[in-house]
Amino acid sequence: MTVRTLFIGMDGATFTVLNELTKPVSGEPVMPFLAKIFAGGSRAKLRSTPNPLTPPAWVSLMTGRGPGHHGIFDFIRAEERGDEVFFTLFDSRDCKVETIWSIASRQGLRIAALNFPFTAPPQKELNGFVVPGFIPWRHLRRNTHPEGIYDRLKAIPQFNAQELAWDFEQEKQSGDQLSDHDREAWVSYHLPREQQWFKVAEYLMREEAPDLMAVLFDGVDKLQHQAWQFVDPAYQTGELSPYHLRMRELSLSYFHQLDGFIEKLVTAAGPKVQVFFASDHGFTASTEIVRINAYLAEKGYVHWKPIPEGEAGKRRDNSYFAYLDWSKTTAYCRTPSCNGITIRVARAPGETGIAPSEYQAFRARLIRDLEDFKDSKTGERIIAEIHKREDVFPGAAMTNAPDLQLVLRDFGFVSVKNKLPSVEPRQYPVGTHHPDGVFMAYGPGIEAGKMLGRRNITDVSSTLLYSLGLPIPSDFEGAVPPNMFTAEYKAAHPIVIGAATESGGREVQTESMSDDEKANIMEQLKMLGYME
Amino acid sequence: MATVVAIVKDLTQDWGVDCAEPIGADTLLAANLQFTSVDIIQLCVALEECYDRRFGFQDLLMRDGSYVGDLSLGQLSAFVDAQLIREETTS
Repeated sequence: MTVRTLFIGMDGATFTVLNELTKPVSGEPVMPFLAKIFAGGSRAKLRSTPNPLTPPAWVSLMTGRGPGHHGIFDFIRAEERGDEVFFTLFDSRDCKVETIWSIASRQGLRIAALNFPFTAPPQKELNGFVVPGFIPWRHLRRNTHPEGIYDRLKAIPQFNAQELAWDFEQEKQSGDQLSDHDREAWVSYHLPREQQWFKVAEYLMREEAPDLMAVLFDGVDKLQHQAWQFVDPAYQTGELSPYHLRMRELSLSYFHQLDGFIEKLVTAAGPKVQVFFASDHGFTASTEIVRINAYLAEKGYVHWKPIPEGEAGKRRDNSYFAYLDWSKTTAYCRTPSCNGITIRVARAPGETGIAPSEYQAFRARLIRDLEDFKDSKTGERIIAEIHKREDVFPGAAMTNAPDLQLVLRDFGFVSVKNKLPSVEPRQYPVGTHHPDGVFMAYGPGIEAGKMLGRRNITDVSSTLLYSLGLPIPSDFEGAVPPNMFTAEYKAAHPIVIGAATESGGREVQTESMSDDEKANIMEQLKMLGYME
Repeated sequence: MATVVAIVKDLTQDWGVDCAEPIGADTLLAANLQFTSVDIIQLCVALEECYDRRFGFQDLLMRDGSYVGDLSLGQLSAFVDAQLIREETTS
């Protein structure tokens, strides 16, 4: 048994940072092994999904399909029911198309998928191992596949499920404006956490050698959200405070440690294995707060509900979900992470919302109003791009997408709070998602030292299947990058387009969350920078 | 009831929660087993996975427009049973 293909995900990794960390500054680079990968392999910018966000982007990477097909648009799915909106969490059962884990499994290959979001609950039919991401430690056992593997992992020396898993409580304690101390603690928290994932990956690769070994290190994203000003080369000039320098050193120690994990995994895989790296999106700085529902309220689309008195009112006031008067609201933003506008359409007589016959004209007026959202000093549009959903989310699941997808001028995430002004500068820049992530390949048959043209996130799954020697499903939207592999390799291993994917759709979830549940999830999102 | 108890025991086996009484119909998820909201979501998912169907737990978790503060295993089991019976009757 040997690993055929190794895939290392790095959530939020961007060349803006990696290029700097692979250059020797005074002595060795921060990431010397990645520098070797750059020199000996191929790489390209990787264009993310229209909303460059963990849920739609990683699911597109795992399925080779856009969100309009797989149906995962956000962390949270909303259901409008009469004059109430219920919020539910997406999970793996909501993905309507087949994943590469399933495609490889049913063709007899074994997989290991570690820390990928929306792999829980795991499909029982998978041939291999799943330890899901975005699951609290108390639920890892039940969501780990196959049965029995969790106890084996617990036997790994220094294995600590609480360190490994998504820690809701840790994130709940942290606010959007972290104190210097808390920010430092947040970065430090991810050092041992990544080590846990590395240990699990190393163990499964050694003991089981699955054909496709895939592990996601998500600390890159989490660190960059809170510590962007310490890692972005653009913010390392001028007089830097001792705190800044300490935070930069701490952040770089994270990347140095990650480089060591990558080296060990690639070395353990052996010289015959092709290795691929990708991120779900890149990173950049967000410099302003855009309160989109406040702006929509100014324009008459959003109507706020009065906050009730007492404890319930306090909870409401602290909630991160818009508390709206659904009898009057016609268009609103549901969650900060969706960066989209939902138009409320009355689907039956007596329902609230606009009449279906008014939709086109209403949407056109809404677009004009959003285009008019401008910087009062410069006249520049706050919302750089406004996409109609049929243009960016074609597919059977499009009706679950926001009617309009927004791209802010600084790529930031919107705020849904009832607070004015509707746009104001941040106290300091925070990390936010940029549409360009990274895609890299290394190993036998891979072109050396090549920077390719920008690729699409759906190309990753095609490339991994090709590396495994499997046909590319005919309904995949992505392709194998033409210049990533050597001519000799491609001649010996022709790309084969095979049958379409099998149905990956599982039932649609209908549960709803309590206010506490919503608040808990929103705390996590806030920590990740999706909130003010 | 046995299925719900078995799933809850399986779910909580690593939690280190000391429950004074044996887990049964009267056990409260939040008060006795320290379930948080996310734990309740995961329990709902585990039950749906066990029965390979969706149960629409919002009908159990919401009353008169508000979300219930706590839930006993007996209530949970009765809800699941009622859903299964309703499905059998309508199919």
